This record gives sequence, structure tokens and C-alpha cells, in this order.
Amino acid sequence: MTNDASPPNLTQLPPEMLEFALLKTTGALAPRLGRLTLPGRKTILTPGFLGNTSRGAVPHISQDNFRNASINGVYVALEDYIEKHPETTPPVFQIDAPDSLRRFIALPTDTLLVLGARRQPPIPSPVANTNSEIGLLTSYGFRSISSEYYAAAVRKLQPDIVVGLADIPFGQETVGLKRKDKMSDRTEVWTRDIIAKRNGIEKGEPRYSIFAPILPIDQDLQSWYLEHLLDDMVDDISGVAIYDAYLLDDLPEALYHLPRLSLHIPAGPHELLRQISLGMDLFTIPFISNATDAGIALDFKFPAPQKLDSATSSSRQSLGVDMWLASHAESATPLTSGCTCYACTKHHTAYIQHLLSAKEMLGWVLIQLHNHTILDSFFSGVRASIENGTFEQDVAAFEAFYEPSLPEKTGQGPRVRGYQHSGSEHKHMAKKNPKAFRNFEKEGVLQAMHGQQPNAKPEMRDVIDDEALVGLVGLENVEQGEEAEKLKIEDAKS
Amino acid sequence: MVPVSMPSALTFELLGKCSVTKARAATLHLPHGPVPLPIFMPVATQASLKGLTPDQLEDAGCRLCLNNTYHLGLKPGQATLDAIGGAHKFQSWPHNILTDSGGFQMVSLLKLAKVTEEGVKFLSPHDGTPMLLTPEHSISLQNSIGSDIIMQLDDVIATTSPDLARMREAMERSVRWLDRCIKAHKYPERQNLFCIIQGGLDLDLRKECTIEMVARDTPGIAIGGLSGGEAKDAYCTVVDTCTELLPEKKPRYVMGVGYPEDLVVSVALGADMFDCVWPTRTARFGNAITARGVLNIRNAGYSTEFTPIEEGCQCVCCRSQEDGGLGITRAYIYHVASKETAGAHLLTIHNVHYQLNLMKRVREAIIEDRYPAFLKEFFSKLYDDKSKYPGWAVNALKGVGVDLLSD
Ligand SMILES: [Zn+2]
Ligand SMILES: [Zn+2]
Repeated sequence: MTNDASPPNLTQLPPEMLEFALLKTTGALAPRLGRLTLPGRKTILTPGFLGNTSRGAVPHISQDNFRNASINGVYVALEDYIEKHPETTPPVFQIDAPDSLRRFIALPTDTLLVLGARRQPPIPSPVANTNSEIGLLTSYGFRSISSEYYAAAVRKLQPDIVVGLADIPFGQETVGLKRKDKMSDRTEVWTRDIIAKRNGIEKGEPRYSIFAPILPIDQDLQSWYLEHLLDDMVDDISGVAIYDAYLLDDLPEALYHLPRLSLHIPAGPHELLRQISLGMDLFTIPFISNATDAGIALDFKFPAPQKLDSATSSSRQSLGVDMWLASHAESATPLTSGCTCYACTKHHTAYIQHLLSAKEMLGWVLIQLHNHTILDSFFSGVRASIENGTFEQDVAAFEAFYEPSLPEKTGQGPRVRGYQHSGSEHKHMAKKNPKAFRNFEKEGVLQAMHGQQPNAKPEMRDVIDDEALVGLVGLENVEQGEEAEKLKIEDAKS
Repeated sequence: MVPVSMPSALTFELLGKCSVTKARAATLHLPHGPVPLPIFMPVATQASLKGLTPDQLEDAGCRLCLNNTYHLGLKPGQATLDAIGGAHKFQSWPHNILTDSGGFQMVSLLKLAKVTEEGVKFLSPHDGTPMLLTPEHSISLQNSIGSDIIMQLDDVIATTSPDLARMREAMERSVRWLDRCIKAHKYPERQNLFCIIQGGLDLDLRKECTIEMVARDTPGIAIGGLSGGEAKDAYCTVVDTCTELLPEKKPRYVMGVGYPEDLVVSVALGADMFDCVWPTRTARFGNAITARGVLNIRNAGYSTEFTPIEEGCQCVCCRSQEDGGLGITRAYIYHVASKETAGAHLLTIHNVHYQLNLMKRVREAIIEDRYPAFLKEFFSKLYDDKSKYPGWAVNALKGVGVDLLSD
């Protein structure tokens, strides 16, 4: 392991290419500092994170509000855009302009755009991957796409970075040895594919950088793939996308100079710190939006604050504040004191508590802005700590100061759309959306849980969709349900 | 009852009158800044406008929005409002707020509401305990809210009610309740109490009520009890009859009106202020308001329309990226409509902007004394053929000197 990890050929690359400078490393399986730059885009310091988008928007953050969100880069999933493939050409491919995806979702020109096939986290697709195709879940149901299709889509959409296709049977509890062999073989073929297609793009035309997937299987099971990656693909890739952070140990040294995007979903900040301590650079963090939907305002700092008095030292601090609690109703303080986010500088806790209990969409908007800022500050703290060489102690102090996991949610979030469920949540959907379940049962269309099944009666779809947007009007008790129904009638007048 | 002259916390600055119709343009100076009249006021029922931040609402051009007293009285409640220091601080809104009295919400939302001379009796939606909203309590709540314009509690019954005796009772009671509201009002020097003219569709009752209300000299005057499903012709006749008897130098507010064609006709009949939940509510269903009518962007046909929601619209969504806007297309709205809350926020921004901009153009047309031409152009854009013009609009405008059907 060498500290000077820059690849020798970096200086010869054309100026539009992505650059990753390792600013500090202290060996394998250790935290590191880096800087990801692409001309025209905001620099991303690592460890850092990407905004995790849903259909082109960070959930609850409309594009004009995005500038209040302190996000320098976003992760976008192709499966959000190709729901009617192959019956019809997805609309986004019909845009006749450069930077089509960026334009379509109104992403600022200086925000880094990373495209992958699957949402984060991916929902297991019952359509199995094959030698040539990968299964996806779109809002219209399960689809599959070929590696070729993926490459064509990427070329059309022009992201800055694309995560190569990986053959991972999501949701499968145990994966046999033979299947693991296949994973490695297919992923290799698909990685070669996308490299070849990218290299085939003519000079002068926009190119994208490729992050090669590293599979969540033991090194010896993907050794062929990794060997070939090193032998003849390493100069063509600009980063790696890692599905299991705990296998970073197995990462070949010749790939150390590359930025590492974690696709290993962290459950909370403690797990983020563990991944960072193993040398992970870049994250998508689904727990931010999950906390937001649960009405939890994240409330943690890194390094953790000094403990003030010994009396409270036995109890650990919560990682988040449940904004549903009526005890906040008269609190004129910010969500987190000293927080510089839009919500904390413009509004106070009492208002946000009111918005949640009134099921006003703005509540989730403000908490989401706050939660992203909390993570942004968290990563700044992490980088400073690595810089100072105190990361290990700071992590220990953090673990001692805060509870090990995020608080359980108590209140209802906005209605969860089917394609937004993580795999494990899927099973509990009926519990999550009790009223919807009842409605669907009545209508005999259980698939309606995906929120937009194509054959539903339009009027039924309206009902579901409106509830989805209002949040959970009427879910708490019958009186409110009745009230809400009457509201509709009253609202319908001119 | 001897009318007491009450202080006013507003100035009505008349800027121009249409030489043909009864339309007026003015600037209304309120405690939280001037607002242009005629005006459309978006409804932020529970101190929030459908997912928009106050900054977004401000960016859309809004300087006066509504809060509902009934909702704020339940949540966050009077104690919290007092503790925080009123609704402006509560929702971080530096501009003006108008609140209703709460009575209308109660009667329309709660089936067990019962009106007596004392007030409106209803069962708490929280725990079913009987509660009473009196004129005094409504004003006290609105005093706590601190809204710039507050409304009297009135006795609202459906305009379509055939019971003339009940209608008269409601009208007379509303006058008595106004007197109680005036007496209960603690801050007339910083909150403007508006009376509400009742009387259903009976023009004699309306005239009688108007005279009584005007005599009480409130800073502004509302025409209430409409928008309850009555025929549009009857609606227009009532507005026309009332404005005829109203003093020129006071703002006139027609409650619960918001369809674009209703707005432009009501302005021609001499009304200045309007509110309605429709533009923001309909955005959540994927409906975009445009000069050529309402488009439901959830129709699959829009999935490949890479044009703004409305060509030429200057809202932040429709304006091009080159022009500092977002360049949001119909196709993108289709992509997110009813799937992401952000999609609803974008359409809400557009719809609010449409309504506010419509009133801005109305105002310019009045000031330049070309409102009749404006009306003709407005209807010719909205309907592709004169035969489709709504009869009530044609009749109402004919009554104030504009023949939409002539060339
Ligand atoms: Zn904050
Ligand atoms: Zn617009």
C-alpha cells in the first residue's frame, strides 16, 4: 500500500474526466480523505454522500427547494424512468437535447449526477436476472433490461458517472455456490460491455465515467472477475461500487486509488462510521428519507459533543427527535440548536410539530432539508476528524454518546408508494398502510399497493394518489376520516 | 343599536376604475404591507400552503394568504398561538394573513353543528365533547392568530335553502353577531374586521343586510354565503346587487370564489378580493391551470410533451433554465404527478402563480382602462368557440356593458 495512490495515467486524461485525489490514507482498511472533481461540477469531498433521488427529486424536495438542501451530487436510478419499456420508448429517451436527464429532472448544472440501474435500496424483483438481462422494479411493475439497453440508455441520458450492472439476486436469503459463480461471470461480461460501449463513443461527444461493481461475495468467488478487472479494465473505470463494505478487505490493492461508492445500505450513523473506518468514500443514505418519512428530525453531530455532566452520562443521547410528540407543540427552538439548515434558520420546532400532526406536506419538506444538513455536517466532522488523526477515538466517543440505532417511528409518515419500499418492508406493507389495505381489499386489487397499477379504475387511482400526497389523512381515527371526506366535498365547490 | 365608528388598520387607495364595467383597481395598505387589488388569496388552511415554504409562496408573488380559524383553533390551538406570538410568527410569514371566522368551516364540516343566538354548537372532532363557538370566541381566536384581516362570525346557511324565514333569521342574526364581534375585537388598530353580508339569493334580504352592515362602518366588507352550489346567474345577481350599495372606498371580498372565469366576471361586477382552495387542491390531482383551461397532466399524452406547463408562464417551474427558472416540462410533471410530493409542490407553485398573475393582468387592464377588451380576450382563449361561452358569464357581463359575443 502506498500513500501516493494516483494512477500514472491520470494526467493524460482529457479534461472532462473525473478526477479522484486521495488526500490522506493511512493504509488498507482505514479511513481516508479524498476529493472527487469533474470540471463544471461542485467538488465532492470524501467521505461524503449523494442525495438519493426518487423519480428525479430528493423526496419532498421540489427542484426550486433543492438549492436549500446542501447536496453536491445525486444518485438517480434508471428504473425510475423506464416503466413502460419495452412496450413504449420511455419519454426521457425522446428528449432531443444534450444533458437530457439533467434537463428533465431540472438538476442544477453543477450537481454531480450518478446513474445506476436500481433504486437505493433496490426492491427484490421476482424477475430473475439472466445471462443477458437484469430484473428491475418500476412503478408499473417488474421489467428487465439487457446490458446493451443499459449502455444505450446511459449514452442517451449522459450522467457524469454510471454504476455498471451487477448480477445480484436481491432478496434471496441464501445464494448457492453455482449462482455465485454466475454472478461473477455475468457481472464481468456486463462491465466489459459498458466499457466497450463507452469507449466506442466518438471523440468530442460527451462521455461518462464508469464505476465497476464489486459483488457482495467472497473474493475467491469473484476472483476471475476481479483479475480481469485488473488485467484489462482498470484503466477504463473511474471508481468501484461496493455492495458489501465488510468485504473491503478483499479489494485488490491495484484498485485502491479509485473512489469507492458504497451500495451497502447503512442502517444508521454508526454503520456509516464503520464503513468509513474501512475506507469507504461515498454513500447514498436511504435512512435520511426514511427518518424524514417517520417524522424524525435527525439530531447527531460528529464528533459527539462533550458530555456536560456526569449525572446524565449513563443514558445515551437519541440520534433523532420524534417530531410527532405533542411535547414539542410550544417549542420555539430550532430542531437542533446551531443547525444552519433552512428549516432551523427559518422555522421552529412547534411549527414543524404542528405540520406533522396536521399532516401538512410541508412538515416532511422541512424535516428532509434538516436531515440532509445534519448528514452534511456529520461528514464535515468526519473529514476533520480523519484529517486530525482522531477518527478512531471520535468514533468510540460517538458510540458511547449516542444510542446504537435510530429511534423507532411512532407517527405515520406520508403514504409509502410500493416502489419505495425496501425489500423487507414489503412484507409488512399491510401493516404500514392499514387504510389502504382495507380499501384495496374492498376493491379486490391488492396490487394497488404499488400505487399506480395500470388497469385500475381511474377514479380509484385518484383516491389512492391523493391520499398518497396528502399524507395519511384519516388514518388515525374515524372522526378525522369523516372530516376529511367532508373536506373534499367542501373543497370541490368553486 | 347605534353604530359605533370603528378604527381601521388599512387604507384603500383607489387607482383606477373601468369606464364600462364596475371593475376597480386599488392598492390595499395592510399592517404587513401593501397588496394589489383585485387580488386572489391562496388558502393556507392549517398555516401551510400544500407543501410550499413561505419563501416559495412569496416567490410566487403572494403577499396575502388565508388561514382558517377553525383549523388553527384546533391545531395548534389558542394557547400555542399566544405562546408563539400569533400566526405570522408561527408560520414565519412576513406578509399579510386573512382569517375566516370559523363558522363556515364548522357548519360545512361538522354534521352536528347547530346554530343558536348564542353561537354555533358542535361536537369536538377530537373527543366528541359539545363545544360552542360564539362571536366573542371567534374574535378572541382571531386576535390570538393576529391576522391582518379578520372576519365576523356569521350565520351561514346554504343559499339554496328554500326556507325564507330561516334565511331572514340568519341574515338578521349575522348583523347582531357583527355588533358582538365589534365589541369583542381587542385590536382594531392592527387587525381589520370585515363584516359579511348574508341573505341567500333573496335580493331584498341582501339589500337590507348590506345597508345594516355598511352602517357599522367596518374597514372592509365581505359578501358571504355564496359559492355553495347556487346557479351562477343567481350568484352574479347577488354580487351585482350588493356592490351597487357598497361605499367606493372600501375593499369588497367575495368569499370562496376562485375559478378564473368567476374571478374576471366578479371583478367586472365590482368585487376586489377572492379566496379559494381549488387552485391548490386541484394541483394535487395533477391539474394545471392555464389560459386555455385546466390540463390534467396525468393523462398519458403529456408524458412526452417536453414543453412548459404553460408556454410563456413566468413561474419558477415554467421559466426556462436559461432564464433562471427550472424548465420543468409537462412530461416531468407527468413523471412525478401523484408519485412524489415534489410533483404536487411544483404544480401548486404554477397554479398559485397563474391565479396571482391573472389578477395582476386584470389590474393592469383596469388601470389602463381596457378591461372590456381584456375580458373578450380572456374568454376567447379559454373557449375555442363563442358558442361555448358560459351563458351566465355572457349575461352578467352584458349587464355591466360588455357584450362578449360581439366582435
Ligand atoms: Zn436543521
Ligand atoms: Zn408556470
